[in-house]
Amino acid sequence: MKTNQNLKTARPLHKRQIGWHLLMMLLVIIALVPVLFAFISSFKSMQELYNGSLLPSQITFDNYGEILSSLPIFKITLNTFIIAVTVTVFKVVTSTLAAYAFVFFDFKGKNVIYFFLICTIFIPFTVTMIPNYLTVSNLNLVDKIWGVVLPQLADASGIFLLRQTMKTVPRPLIEISHLDDISEMKILRNIIIPICRPAIISTGIIFFINSWNEYVWPTLILRSRENYTLSLAMQVFTDSEGGVEYTITLAMAVITMLLPLTLYLIFQKHIMSTFASSGIKG
Amino acid sequence: MANKKDIIFKNVEKTFGKTKVIEHLDLHIREGERLILLGPSGCGKSTTLRMIAGLETISSGELVMEGKCVNDVPAGKRGVSMVFQNYALYPHMTVRDNICYALKAHKEEKEEIEKRLQMVLKIFGLETYVNRKPKELSGGQRQRVALARALVKRSPYLLLDEPLSNLDAQLRLQARKELVKVHQYYHQTFIYVTHDQVEAMTLGNRIALMREGKLMMLDTPYNVYHRPANVFTAKFIGSPATNIISAVWKNGLLHCGKYSLKLPDMWEKLIIASKETEFYLGIRPEHIHLHAGLSDNSLGGEVDYIEDYGNKMGIYFRMNGEEIISVDNTIPGSSGSSVSFTPDFRHIYIFEKKSENSIGYPPELDINISAQEKMMRDILSQGSQVKMGQDEVIHVHR
Repeated sequence: MKTNQNLKTARPLHKRQIGWHLLMMLLVIIALVPVLFAFISSFKSMQELYNGSLLPSQITFDNYGEILSSLPIFKITLNTFIIAVTVTVFKVVTSTLAAYAFVFFDFKGKNVIYFFLICTIFIPFTVTMIPNYLTVSNLNLVDKIWGVVLPQLADASGIFLLRQTMKTVPRPLIEISHLDDISEMKILRNIIIPICRPAIISTGIIFFINSWNEYVWPTLILRSRENYTLSLAMQVFTDSEGGVEYTITLAMAVITMLLPLTLYLIFQKHIMSTFASSGIKG
Repeated sequence: MANKKDIIFKNVEKTFGKTKVIEHLDLHIREGERLILLGPSGCGKSTTLRMIAGLETISSGELVMEGKCVNDVPAGKRGVSMVFQNYALYPHMTVRDNICYALKAHKEEKEEIEKRLQMVLKIFGLETYVNRKPKELSGGQRQRVALARALVKRSPYLLLDEPLSNLDAQLRLQARKELVKVHQYYHQTFIYVTHDQVEAMTLGNRIALMREGKLMMLDTPYNVYHRPANVFTAKFIGSPATNIISAVWKNGLLHCGKYSLKLPDMWEKLIIASKETEFYLGIRPEHIHLHAGLSDNSLGGEVDYIEDYGNKMGIYFRMNGEEIISVDNTIPGSSGSSVSFTPDFRHIYIFEKKSENSIGYPPELDINISAQEKMMRDILSQGSQVKMGQDEVIHVHR
């Protein structure tokens, strides 16, 4: 009798869990299919792609060969890397400093300034595109990777994310440091950054991936192929005169994906914990 | 005469927005004493402590430390160390790093840091935990690390903000003893915030009792308990609380409802000197010894409810409709029976009804005492003491 009752109460929960798991699996499939499609197709010939077969009958590396012969792909990867790293480092540093000030300093107009900063998150890129272009152009930075970097050295969303994390640091930790006459820089470096390290790393990764995938802004600034970034290089094969070379473009997409994917796998734990603690869904 | 290291509040006020949390505070904390800031939650005791630390600004008045006004001196320059209620240990650092962090940050010599570290580790029995992180420690160990970190600085003032409130009852008792011991080693000025009257009584040389931002009484534990200056103090200190009974002075007798008392001369003099007629009579539950029936010059009522505390009995009875508590070894009768008691006039308090302040205490209470009583008071007036073992006497550079 008892076990029967237990089964009865346990069953509905079990069913619901199965439902959730099915839903999540569906979402994973939806997210994964395009990636797998790109990966598999990058080893197919154009003909086979149009045949519609799921797996290639013969694996070909021609698409990758074509990329290597027609583009300075190592230089392009390096460009993308330099831009992404510089942007990430600057954004993380400025966000950390600003978040610290917003959480632990008391100054006049703090909330007003913070409000306006957060508002900038909601300004569409297209609004700032032209003024930014003019500034970069006047600085003679068109067709230079530093022209891509310059307007991206600070980011309000990073300040927001890190402020949320730093707010969870108990005040007494800071107060005890003040009582010990520890300078603010030392408090930041020795207390706050170590405690908030997971959040800082994952914020950095988000910045890195965003910058890595950046398309519109580099298109405006970069002209010559040796200055291209990876996402720009993809476009080379989509509108070349001989029609759209889908398999080569997909091979290019796979190359573009490689580094961010590796980084994500390494730092997965940190990224998950940040989103779990800040209550923001990625 | 003020010592150099005394802390003096001169008419200090603290407001948060429009709320006044501290009103006209005048408080003189003596060098090397253990002063307890006691009171119910929200009475301003933590704010007072944080003002000394420099973590809270002072709205008006003057705070004097080391002979100078320190209103604008930042926290780090006041030479105070502090233990927080939740210990505020750095979670990412080991016990060793937590204790030594401030010393290292100020570039103290390595040998000196190590020497001081070993000493506090020894005092608190933390030698085996040096390489653990706070999350791997129990509550009691964390509390000791926090204390060790505060002591390693050797600052002249040690501020403690309810440091024992997260410990269980047994550990708390042990920690109280440890704190007294630590004070006897270092002779820093201890300023200790608590809402626990037992902690206050056992740890303090003096107790500053606060209510709603005002200082209600500042005196030794003995006097706070035995000579309360007002109704609030009498009711706050002691458990169960002191019975407060309305009384009127008429025709040379103190009338409490239908009962009346003939007071001894020493009290009569004080009552007449106060020129008041309406009073509160305060009697502690342990000074009420009930017997069955009614007798002369006594107060009484009907037993309502009896509680067994194990070592004592709590007898609740109704007198003039009000509940009075007596704590005694014997039960005078079952519930519903009528009982009475004659107060022990050495152990009563009389307060003016209007101001709720004490009319004072007869000097006879302090003169006509036995040698034993005198010795006891002398010992207690210095607060709790701990015998120091031979191996525990460590030479401290001050």
